[in-house]
Amino acid sequence: MSEIEKDLPMENKEALTSLLFQLADDDFMYAYRGSEWLGLAPHIEADIASSSISQDSMGHAAMFYSLLEDLGAGNADNLAHMRIASERKNSILTERVNGEGYYMEVPHYDWAYAVVRSYFYTQAKKIKIDSLCGSSYKPLAEIAVKVKMELYYHRLHWETWFKQLMGSTDVAKQKMNKAVELVMADFGDVFSYGNQKLEIEVSRLIESEEDLKAKWHESIKPVFLALQMEAPTIPDLPSKNGRNGEHTKDLDDALLTLSEVSKLDPVAIW
Amino acid sequence: MTSSNITAEEEQLSRFMERIESGDKIEANDWMPEEYRMTLIKLISMHGMSEIMGALPEKEWVPRAPTLNRKLGIMAKVQDEMGHGQLLLRVTEDLLLPYGKNRGDLMQDLFNGDLKFHNVFHMETKTWADAGIIGWLVDGAAIITQTDMLKASYGPYARALQRICAEEVFHAQHGESIIMALAEGTDEQKAMIQESLNRWWEALLMFFGPASKETTGSSKQDLTIKYKIRTKTNEEFRQIFFDKYIPRILSLGLTIPDPTINYDSESKMWSYQQPDWNEFKKIIRNQGPRSEARLNLRRQSYEYNSWVRDALSETVS
Amino acid sequence: MAKETFYQEYEIFSKRTPNSAFQHQFSLLAPNEDMAFVMAQENFMRREPVADIWIVNRKHVRKMDTEEKMTLGRLENKDYRTTKGYGYLKKKWRQYEQEILDEKEILSWGGERK
Repeated sequence: MSEIEKDLPMENKEALTSLLFQLADDDFMYAYRGSEWLGLAPHIEADIASSSISQDSMGHAAMFYSLLEDLGAGNADNLAHMRIASERKNSILTERVNGEGYYMEVPHYDWAYAVVRSYFYTQAKKIKIDSLCGSSYKPLAEIAVKVKMELYYHRLHWETWFKQLMGSTDVAKQKMNKAVELVMADFGDVFSYGNQKLEIEVSRLIESEEDLKAKWHESIKPVFLALQMEAPTIPDLPSKNGRNGEHTKDLDDALLTLSEVSKLDPVAIW
Repeated sequence: MTSSNITAEEEQLSRFMERIESGDKIEANDWMPEEYRMTLIKLISMHGMSEIMGALPEKEWVPRAPTLNRKLGIMAKVQDEMGHGQLLLRVTEDLLLPYGKNRGDLMQDLFNGDLKFHNVFHMETKTWADAGIIGWLVDGAAIITQTDMLKASYGPYARALQRICAEEVFHAQHGESIIMALAEGTDEQKAMIQESLNRWWEALLMFFGPASKETTGSSKQDLTIKYKIRTKTNEEFRQIFFDKYIPRILSLGLTIPDPTINYDSESKMWSYQQPDWNEFKKIIRNQGPRSEARLNLRRQSYEYNSWVRDALSETVS
Repeated sequence: MAKETFYQEYEIFSKRTPNSAFQHQFSLLAPNEDMAFVMAQENFMRREPVADIWIVNRKHVRKMDTEEKMTLGRLENKDYRTTKGYGYLKKKWRQYEQEILDEKEILSWGGERK
């Protein structure tokens, strides 16, 4: 693997690193928010099933951070826990809290939001991973093939929840539609590569933003059609672009908690 | 006593006790006396809810866990606890069938305080070392009681416990792994374990329940032993805990927060300072340090998302 | 009523490998089959290989009550249909300087010609 690394021209290496941080930070924050539901899901069996998805995703993040470590970006655990908000490249969708009153002792975690965010995110991830399976950087392609295997279950799981809730009571439809609005408001940067768009696309690490956005659209259309609903559209311009280090207060709060123990002693073995 | 004096019920009961005495397994659809059914329901529902409520203090350490591997370990452990709760609630629900009660009723019983969860999960967690102590010593204590009940007279419970005990081995090792890293680490890390152990010690003693009714006014151990759901008393469990864990705790350079603790090689018993059983009484009334907060959290989430259960009730096939 | 219908009982069966037989795992509560399906593997088979899963609503399982189980009783007087009833052949064949064709020998006939 280090041979390939030596062959990477500087611009390509920067583009690769940037993309890897996006992928790693996305899954890391997605898993972080997912694990906040532990013990609190609306149904015990559902709690157990969905926590596998959080674990798998954290595992995917670990693979990406590990690759970054191999490329000399730093220690994987430090990359995950110690970077400040402006250095993070996750989509703002993944950093959003699970519900209102998050700062209170008893927050209101919203299952509709969890389902919609997860379903739309997982679909986006599948589109990206499919593209990454043909990445010009082999180690990345190899990781993508592994991630793809676990995505079958993730998609089945969230698609089932999405369809069943969307197609049930009026109350459920209303909550789900509200959740779709909230999720789409933050969806603008999901497929963005940020300031590195040109370098990333030119080095053929992954297909273009526009191609992937279109694919995502095509993939969710049938589900919405079956529900007799119009598929949502991705905003042209993101409200904030997480890929460029633009984040919300939700991330600041998360990072405080994340680094709480590691900061006690950044060089100790835990 | 002539056969006409023995009622059909008494005969059934005596045949049932013969089955128990001979080590037979009772299954869900077998005849069983009311007392046996109620004893099982109380024990297993509390066991199940304890796993579910126990997930809450532990999951607080997922975001704080300082490495990716530790995060994954705790996530997997918490998932297992929910899984154990699920298995045990299923066993309970099948026992409740004659009463027409189901999972929804069990949840309500939890929220209104009728269904208790284990005292140890009412305690606060303050530091990362707590995450280690819980996996190492709290799960360790649970392993001691659970392995005894692998031979329980009630088949479904014994089988559920087999699944549970298999996963507990990973839990214990996960906890040990956290503690080992701290014990071999910096002075601050070592001090963190000691401080955590000092705080958790009484809770660990109380884990096994009072030695006798006199201590707190009630004890369920007599019925569970009579029906061979378990074989040992609360005090016997506690003594085994000392046997297994005191040497290991000491080997890591930690001190037991009880200077009086002492092993008598003649009686083969540990003597120790009793914990404050008044604290225990408060906890079993859901007045422990975190009882209210955790129940609130669970109840609010359950009720806030009740629309989910309502929505999917329409899809029953 | 919501609480009566949301909690359907499903029995879960799985195969470890494509060639093993299905075995019973445990039961779970779910509002419908698709939901039960989505929850089955992660609830009971996190640490073992799974090649296939069956979901059965408990109401579709025909169970036996205590009285019906009486029909399962049987006498242990049926050596005529087990190898136990023909053990005397071993000595007989010895007289003809042959070994008995027992279970071990016969089941090996599917293998390589010796």
